[in-house]
Amino acid sequence: MTTLLEVQGLHKHFGGVQAVNSCSFTAAEGQITGLIGPNGAGKSTAIDLISGFKIPDSGKVRFEGREVQGKTPHVISRMGLIRTFQSPREWPGLSVLENLILACFEPRRERFWRSLRGPSRAEKEKANEQLVEARAILDEFGLFHLRNERAGNLSGGQKRLLEFARMRMAKPRLVILDEPMGGVNPVLGERMAAAVLGFVTAGTSVVIVEHNLPFIERVTDQVVVMAEGRVIAEAPFDQLRGNPAVVDAYLGELPTYDDAES
Amino acid sequence: MIDYLVTVLTEGSIFAIMALGLNIVWGWSGDFDLAFYGYVALGAYMTLVLTVGPATNPTTYILGLTLPFPLAVALAVVSAMVLALIVGAIALRHLRGIYFSIVTLGAVYVLYVVTGQYVPLFNGYNGVSGLFDPMGDVLGLDYSSYSFFYLGLCIAVLIIVLLLTTRLNGSRFGLALRSLREDERAAAAFGRDIYVTKLKAYVLGAGLGGLGGALYAGYLTAFNPSAWSPVETIILYAAILVGGRGSTRGVVLGVAVMVMGLQEATRYLPEIANQPSFAPALRLIITGVVLVLFIRFRPQGILPERRFRDKDPAGKGDAAAVEAMVAGPKLDTGAA
Repeated sequence: MTTLLEVQGLHKHFGGVQAVNSCSFTAAEGQITGLIGPNGAGKSTAIDLISGFKIPDSGKVRFEGREVQGKTPHVISRMGLIRTFQSPREWPGLSVLENLILACFEPRRERFWRSLRGPSRAEKEKANEQLVEARAILDEFGLFHLRNERAGNLSGGQKRLLEFARMRMAKPRLVILDEPMGGVNPVLGERMAAAVLGFVTAGTSVVIVEHNLPFIERVTDQVVVMAEGRVIAEAPFDQLRGNPAVVDAYLGELPTYDDAES
Repeated sequence: MIDYLVTVLTEGSIFAIMALGLNIVWGWSGDFDLAFYGYVALGAYMTLVLTVGPATNPTTYILGLTLPFPLAVALAVVSAMVLALIVGAIALRHLRGIYFSIVTLGAVYVLYVVTGQYVPLFNGYNGVSGLFDPMGDVLGLDYSSYSFFYLGLCIAVLIIVLLLTTRLNGSRFGLALRSLREDERAAAAFGRDIYVTKLKAYVLGAGLGGLGGALYAGYLTAFNPSAWSPVETIILYAAILVGGRGSTRGVVLGVAVMVMGLQEATRYLPEIANQPSFAPALRLIITGVVLVLFIRFRPQGILPERRFRDKDPAGKGDAAAVEAMVAGPKLDTGAA
């Protein structure tokens, strides 16, 4: 099993807060890696650092063996690592179908002069193929009937599905999902779980940050647990149950009555 | 009457060119640029100093060449784009929204004050003048037919600009720009270089502003700081908003309504004795009221920006086509 993403000794502080403190973990190709931990554990900061939206104080991030720390988000994205955000970030004023088409980044076609000249025959064919693919993906996610709708008009759950659909369209090597289950009802959760598993079938490995532990248990192959900026455990989910450090981190040290009296 | 109509149409097509430029910056890329009229002014000034010949005492201005009008226009456009590249490179780097607007407002005021106060540049507050009927003598046109020629020129340029912007509008470049307007973090997450793409749009828009300014100089024959103030940008924004932000056809319609229609219609408001400033003030009030009404009741404008519409395959009654369109592996949503 080859390592796709390798994070080594990542540090980041904001003022006096050490948000990520010597964080190291790996994500393997073809797997779904969960990243869990209590609030304030540094999960979101960690993925901001990995995806280039924040610059680490120190440490290394290797994606497919190449160092990417400090690179800008679009450079990392072009290498094949695409992330989502905690709240859905669709392009609200564009149609659902346009949202999908734009998920495919094509530097040549987006150049100014080429756009001015108009598409060539090959590009028109490519655009048609994309359109067919986008329709198929929308159908798969149950959004086909909404394809001409303004994306901003979708419901919260539909926006989550749209984000997944965009990812399927973009076909990255690795996708980092930041709390995809936030505000999603259980019925839709089934669909999301199937979609996450579908990424691997489509050749995209997954790192998933999530608070919903049953969901994590169901979809992940490997789980990384963070607390206070550090990685405290890295194992398949069922091996984490007995791990005292993990239990501790999630429940904290509750004050007992004895403590209060003394 | 016909002369009047020619005047209105010439001015209208020049403003439409400017508005199409500003629409690229604000309508597509989403940046509320207040420096825009600076590029228009620079285009106008450069056209003048490149065509009217050396300055004679007591006037002073740079260059003072006698280049042919089309060449001067081209150079004016380039200089507007160079200035936009500098301002944009600074302002677009990290600033967005109101912060970007404030920096561009600062930039245009610097330009405005320098132009007014530093006399050797463009002759200070007196401005540059003397561009009479550009290309008229070459083409052998007399005074009466010249205005028709210039109207034709402006409309021809407008049509070219309109065709090019319409093409860009539907292109991947245009779509990528819109994605920056809608959510630039998401755009970056999907591989778009926000800074470079926005800067391209900014420079392109300023180029069209410079082109409009160059034609405006040829129409006005002169240009000085009283002919432009940064507030002039607002009428362009009003035109874009009323016509339909992001929509090229809408912008042209907006210029027809707000610049040609409203400005000209209010010209015939009754004068009130001893109150000469009443009519111009009323015009501004009407413009403001129209703007407020549009923002409240039809923010997308008269002709809203068009989204790509995928036709309904079911509408054709071709079941096989529907099947082919949505063909693909279905997710088994039950078990995983």
